[in-house]
Amino acid sequence: MVKYLSEEWRAEVEKRLREQLDPEKMNKITSSMNSRYLNCPDGGKKHFFVGFSNGNVDKVLAGDGDGPTAEFCISGDYETFAKISRAELGSQKALMGGMLKLKGNMVKALKLASLSDRINKIIATIETEF
Amino acid sequence: MKFENTGLYYIDYPARIKAVQAEMAKQNIDVYLGSRLRTTSWCTDAFFPWRSFIVIPSEGMPTAFTFVIDAARALDDSWLDEDHVMGFAPMGGQDQITQISDMINELLPNGGRVGVEAGMSNYLPEGYLTYFEYNAFKEAMPECEFVNAHEIIDRLQMIKDIGTINRFREASRIVDVGHEAVLAAIKNGGWKGMTETVVAGIAALAMRKAGSVWEWSFTGGNEIACGYRTGLAGGACTPPTGKEIVAGEPLMVDIHALYGLACGDHTHNYLIGPATERQLWHAKNFVDIVDLTLKTYRAGISPSSLAEEMMAFAEERGFADFMVPGFEHGIGMLGDEWRIGRHDGPFPYWTDPDHCYQENEVLICAMQYACPEEDIGFRYENPILIKKDCCEYMSKFPLAVEVID
Repeated sequence: MVKYLSEEWRAEVEKRLREQLDPEKMNKITSSMNSRYLNCPDGGKKHFFVGFSNGNVDKVLAGDGDGPTAEFCISGDYETFAKISRAELGSQKALMGGMLKLKGNMVKALKLASLSDRINKIIATIETEF
Repeated sequence: MKFENTGLYYIDYPARIKAVQAEMAKQNIDVYLGSRLRTTSWCTDAFFPWRSFIVIPSEGMPTAFTFVIDAARALDDSWLDEDHVMGFAPMGGQDQITQISDMINELLPNGGRVGVEAGMSNYLPEGYLTYFEYNAFKEAMPECEFVNAHEIIDRLQMIKDIGTINRFREASRIVDVGHEAVLAAIKNGGWKGMTETVVAGIAALAMRKAGSVWEWSFTGGNEIACGYRTGLAGGACTPPTGKEIVAGEPLMVDIHALYGLACGDHTHNYLIGPATERQLWHAKNFVDIVDLTLKTYRAGISPSSLAEEMMAFAEERGFADFMVPGFEHGIGMLGDEWRIGRHDGPFPYWTDPDHCYQENEVLICAMQYACPEEDIGFRYENPILIKKDCCEYMSKFPLAVEVID
């Protein structure tokens, strides 16, 4: 069991993504996504960043603050992200309901929606303490 | 698929944007937020059929915003790159108000003047900013001042560049192909059993084969009328119906082709034989006044001076009661229809009757002759290019009211 958004959790995410996502399956994309967690339990902000280069996992970051600039940025309450990670809420429903805010080119984002789902499914397999 | 913007039909879109930006600078406008169909067509070389916007910063590339389901297609058609055509959708951060205001707030972190397009139009797809949109943008950009700025685009659109003129010429050539197809189909009794909608379809197929994209007119595509429908009072709008063509009645064929977003629009009229002497009298009146009108158009005249002259001719010949006293409507790249020139006449957002025509304006010579009591009427439409001493009428299909056996 690792704590959500901790260094241990980040390392486990990176390990599993590198193991389970091959570049072909990721359509050899080069892109990045930063999730910004607002209203965290400690009152601050956190981030979770994933970068891909030619379909390879390039960078996985997690920590305090807004995090780096990415091609796509999703922001929302910590609890909303936690519900998605616990599979209690679908990410599409969260977006459609305005619980999450996506910033970035929607046309490009559409092409990446299924890839994002693949990543979320892998992350959901990690035993996590929220 | 992008229109091949080369050769005769080349339009310098980056130069158009720079011209808008130069006008913005003169009026201290920091960002132009366009929402009209005419603005998106003129700036992007693509058709934006869904609610769309274009953000033009003070320098650099514009960005178009449209409904996400059509954004990739619009991008494919436009000269803009994928970072400058955005799709909006009902998702957090992705709705049109948020996307556009986020972009403008980033461009103007300390606020600024945003030019918008507010007004009214006879033309339903015009696309002025709605009351709701205006208030929502104001709320999302509290540091910005909004000013009505459509005049910038209207002024720049008025005089046509050579690429646009050539696209109009080609759209008109295509319309002539449509008319030839209709004539071939209806002559020698071919009209029997045909309806207005069938005639519209015959023209549409021929024009599409010849290079037209679609029958652009919002008034029902190709407008076809027969019998009493040709003579509806003031009736310059006839979406086709299932009415059958009948011997002894008039037939009006008003067809529209689109080429490179330039609008072909030409009407030809027939009498399905046998024609009576009275019908032929009406027909001659109409052909004579159209001929005179085409010979009168030139730079320096105005809609009102032309109307006075033509109505005097009609009065002298005894058919003034049948003439609709208007002889033109505006035209430009798709979405630029209806009024002539700018919006500076006595009635806001209507043609200024004293607008002085200038060289290289393109308009539709549009005339309607209607005699409802006798179930007869005729229409003439043809894009014309205003020249110093004359006009060039772009559709070359011979002017006549032909009797078809």
